[in-house]
Amino acid sequence: MTPIIEFDGVSKWYGNVIGLNKLTLHVPAGVTGLLGPNGAGKSTLLQLATGQLRPSQGTVRVLGQDVWDNPALNRLIGLCPEQDAFYEWMTGHDFVRTCARLSGLGRRDASEAADRAMDRVGMTEHMNRAIRGYSKGMRQRTKLAQALVHGPRVLFLDEPLTGTDPVARRDLIEAVRGLGAAGCSVLVSSHVLHEVQALTPRIVLLHRGRLVAEGHVREIRDLIDKHPHRIVLVCDKYRDLAARLAACPDVNGIKFLDRESGLLVETRQPDDFYARLPALALADGVALREVYSEDDNLEAVFKYLVNK
Amino acid sequence: MTATDAPPLRRPLSDMPSALAALFVLTVRQHTHGRRLLVLGALYLLPCVLALVLRNLPKPAPAEALEFALIFSLLPHGLAPLTALLYAAGVVSDEVEDQTLTYLLVRSVPRWALYLTKLLATLCVTTALVAAAVAGLYAAIYAGTPGFWDEVLPRAGRAVAVTALAQVGYCALFGFLGLLTRRSLIAGVAYIVAVEGVLANLDFVGRALTVVYYVRTLTLRWLDLPPEQMRRCQEVWGMADLEKLPSSGVCVLTLLGFGVVVSALSALWFARTEFRVKTPGSD
Repeated sequence: MTPIIEFDGVSKWYGNVIGLNKLTLHVPAGVTGLLGPNGAGKSTLLQLATGQLRPSQGTVRVLGQDVWDNPALNRLIGLCPEQDAFYEWMTGHDFVRTCARLSGLGRRDASEAADRAMDRVGMTEHMNRAIRGYSKGMRQRTKLAQALVHGPRVLFLDEPLTGTDPVARRDLIEAVRGLGAAGCSVLVSSHVLHEVQALTPRIVLLHRGRLVAEGHVREIRDLIDKHPHRIVLVCDKYRDLAARLAACPDVNGIKFLDRESGLLVETRQPDDFYARLPALALADGVALREVYSEDDNLEAVFKYLVNK
Repeated sequence: MTATDAPPLRRPLSDMPSALAALFVLTVRQHTHGRRLLVLGALYLLPCVLALVLRNLPKPAPAEALEFALIFSLLPHGLAPLTALLYAAGVVSDEVEDQTLTYLLVRSVPRWALYLTKLLATLCVTTALVAAAVAGLYAAIYAGTPGFWDEVLPRAGRAVAVTALAQVGYCALFGFLGLLTRRSLIAGVAYIVAVEGVLANLDFVGRALTVVYYVRTLTLRWLDLPPEQMRRCQEVWGMADLEKLPSSGVCVLTLLGFGVVVSALSALWFARTEFRVKTPGSD
């Protein structure tokens, strides 16, 4: 697949501090999550990708173009920055319209585009109020609106869900999913794993300026052969089920989860184990109520990868 | 064709004027919002009030003396450069401090054009402020005098032109200073005192490096001053021999040329400089 964003051997130093360390990364079209703890280099990566910073070493390309000092490319990208900064005296609509005009849209086009963008993030009702009176959720939505007002092909979102209430979070997640479905490529950063998990299964993991892993959550999980897959099985007769599982060669460990009436099963051959599950579920007296893998949770994947 | 092979993008030429016009308007609006304008307005009001008080004393102060002290001395030495410093030094640093520069850098405006447009808007705002101050001072000093409409008003117009030229030099200089150092206000005040204050008053060739020197020369050449006022200015400024002073054309070209060259250098500097906006996760 043709990469939309390309980092080739990119390093970025801030004096003696390293922001990114020999990063090579090719991000394809679609929605991709950028994960890592604070200080991992996520914001540096996004600032490099949007041409705000110049790499100390290596090359950064977006849509096949060098990003530094490339105003024509800026017409095709949008950035929702992490910092909670605005021209506070403006109304939300005024701010987004100004951003549209700065992207080269004429007066009428900019105004219409601002209407559409504010509508898309659910801010139509509040768009004529001064930004200084907005809640955190409204401010995040407005930031997203300015990023997409000029119809970019690639969108960079830096911690877009930080500090938002559950309703705003749900709406923003829906908006980002919608953008992805509409053909816009999105690179969204977060240090909260379940946020990204709600947006996309394709992730890039950074730690201390280095690429730790990239790909589908399950693909990444497959890389970790040190750690067995952990699968939770919930049923009433979980002790009977444990006895059956103990005889299976692909089961490496079983732990009782008394509170959930379930078992935590560890296996190094998840495909074989999942193939065995239907038969177990149909076995007399077992009646599995719930099956889920803890390892599909990004938190677990992230912990494994940064600690290995 | 892969993305890596993609040819360079060309931006539609029609985009540029719209984006630059929006940036110009945005900068003017930034300058006209906030406390800075109120503070400067109050600062400009003080000499006007002082002039009115002194003109209405039982023994009124002579209008020419007030004109010299307030319009030819206080304004070009103090208020005009201070206005330029407060606005031009913050053209970029205020956006960095407020963390809003990001919104400008990711737009389809070339960096050099971004800087020049913001500086031009700043120049327009500071010139308008100083022009209003000149007009206000002339009105406060000369309103009601016999020659107000015939002599003073045209002189006020020419004084506005001189101060506008001075703003070109000051804004270019302080804009550059704002890019060079975070302590641009301290450095700017030091420059105003040491160079435009002290150096400009020393009668040697070095004063030709100051903005005030050209402002004074243009004041003597353009303002058509009454003989008594002319003598006072020449004596105090050490510019007795007009023949030795540069012509009006040289003064205008020097101020404009200085402004253009320093602004172009600043724009190139800005285009090549990285501005790392603090994020909540960064140190």
